[in-house]
Amino acid sequence: METRALGDTGQESTVLTFGSIALNWLEQAGANQLVELVLDHGVNHFDVAPTYGDAELKLGPKLRQYREEVFLGCKTQEREYEGAARKIDRSLNRLGIDTIDLYQIHGLEYEEELDTITADGGALDAIREAKDDGKIDHIGLTSHGDPELILDAIDRIDDLETVMFPLNPVVAGKDGDEYDYEAVLERCEAEGIGTLGIKAFAKGSWPPTDELAEADRPYANWYEPVDTPEGIRERFDFAAAQGLDTVVSPGDPKLVAMVLDAASRSEGMDEARQRALIEEARHDDSPVPEQLHH
Amino acid sequence: MDGVPETVTAALADRQVEGQVCLEAGAGVGNTTAGLLAAGAKRVYAVTNDADHAATVRERVGDGNADRLVVIEADLRATPLGTGSVDLVTAHGLCNVLPPADLDAVAAELARVAKPGGRLVVDDYAVPPTDGAVNRLFALENAAARVVDGRPALTFYPVAVLAAVFADHGWTVEHRKTLLDPVPWTEAHLDAHADVVRGYADELPDVIGEPLAAIAADLVSAIGSERTGTMYSLAFRLVDV
Ligand SMILES: C[S@@+](CC[C@H](N)C(=O)[O-])C[C@H]1O[C@@H](n2cnc3c(N)ncnc32)[C@H](O)[C@@H]1O
Repeated sequence: METRALGDTGQESTVLTFGSIALNWLEQAGANQLVELVLDHGVNHFDVAPTYGDAELKLGPKLRQYREEVFLGCKTQEREYEGAARKIDRSLNRLGIDTIDLYQIHGLEYEEELDTITADGGALDAIREAKDDGKIDHIGLTSHGDPELILDAIDRIDDLETVMFPLNPVVAGKDGDEYDYEAVLERCEAEGIGTLGIKAFAKGSWPPTDELAEADRPYANWYEPVDTPEGIRERFDFAAAQGLDTVVSPGDPKLVAMVLDAASRSEGMDEARQRALIEEARHDDSPVPEQLHH
Repeated sequence: MDGVPETVTAALADRQVEGQVCLEAGAGVGNTTAGLLAAGAKRVYAVTNDADHAATVRERVGDGNADRLVVIEADLRATPLGTGSVDLVTAHGLCNVLPPADLDAVAAELARVAKPGGRLVVDDYAVPPTDGAVNRLFALENAAARVVDGRPALTFYPVAVLAAVFADHGWTVEHRKTLLDPVPWTEAHLDAHADVVRGYADELPDVIGEPLAAIAADLVSAIGSERTGTMYSLAFRLVDV
């Protein structure tokens, strides 16, 4: 599988990162098999979080067996020193390892959170301390909602080395600053910051729960995923063509094999096709009056 | 201002727009007008022969651009623009709604209003593959148009034909690129085409009009959406003939 430099971290990540949340839905034996399958496809970058149920625990055994082959990203939703310091140790414990390669401030949503994180006694103090102690190698950030906030974070966190954010044709086709992840990509490219894409396989929101109860959804994802081999290949190729360093696999284990296959066989996507996907998505809920053309 | 489609951005990407006097030939709902203004055009003449389109463009992109946007309701075969007055002409999705006779007259008029050495960007659809289901809807649209107007509603010109028609009036191709491959004909596009059929159907006696409109509706639901064909962009430069 193709590898790309993860910003200036020195890490060469496969263009597919394994979203280890998928392990949470499996028994240990199944989890072990899935990790073996992922490694068989050459994937060398895994991502996990303490909030993903038992994912850390289930990843542990195979991670320890293949520790040298895996670049591991983990995350924290804590915003203050105490909480973050505790979560780092807890994750190390649950994973059964000594060092997390990439530790990410998870799900940044509001400017005030950024204030807290960067202030004295904020989460960053704990993360930097852990870095000095050799518990962490690199510092990253994830945000699902606001490209401008990511740009602010890049301004305010000098030692930020990676960012993770949503990217798919639906997002790429939306106008307005709240969807301008292209600006984030350009900025990261200019500053040597690594980029990880999430929601590459999102088709749309689930129907409202009164139409489809949460318990009746066929996939574990937070969104309704694309779930055909062609659809998955197209979404992977699109995301990888946007200039992301790596694309995170979806959170449902049923989809992982298809995504591994797509990433292994990917041959890129030309611009005319990328535009076709964006145009298609854009017209799904276009604010522009009825039109005959593109 | 609403967003500029990727097709327009891609077509204009390597053209000098900033500071240029532009003519948007066939303004439609204003996508390209918006793109030209966003790219820093000095002035945009947005020309359409459809009063509703003119109003839509004014409403959509007029705000804050009063000094740069001039929406003109006119026929592109004879515009009120001065000879040699325009740096850059754009025709995005225009040619497919021009029957061959009009296409030639429009190419001549665009050459008249352009400055010597002026540029032209023509974006349009290649002939859709024959197995494309959308062809059935387009054929119905053309049949209805011929009955009502005595001319087709849609003509998809092969790139070479389009280039030859413009070449006759001094336009030489600088380069060509593919804007869309495949073209995503979404439900919204198909609905818009079915609306055109309904428009013609309304002009006809019910006994013909009603089944025509019904066939259009059936086709739209049968097709749903389809990806087929390509959209191309031709960049021309005006040379002395
Ligand atoms: C499909 S729309 C073009 C879309 C537009 N260029 C855009 O970027 O949104 C075609 C436009 O050309 C106009 N048109 C067609 N034939 C014309 C003619 N002979 N003279 C002037 N306008 C014409 C139509 O009224 C319509 O506004």
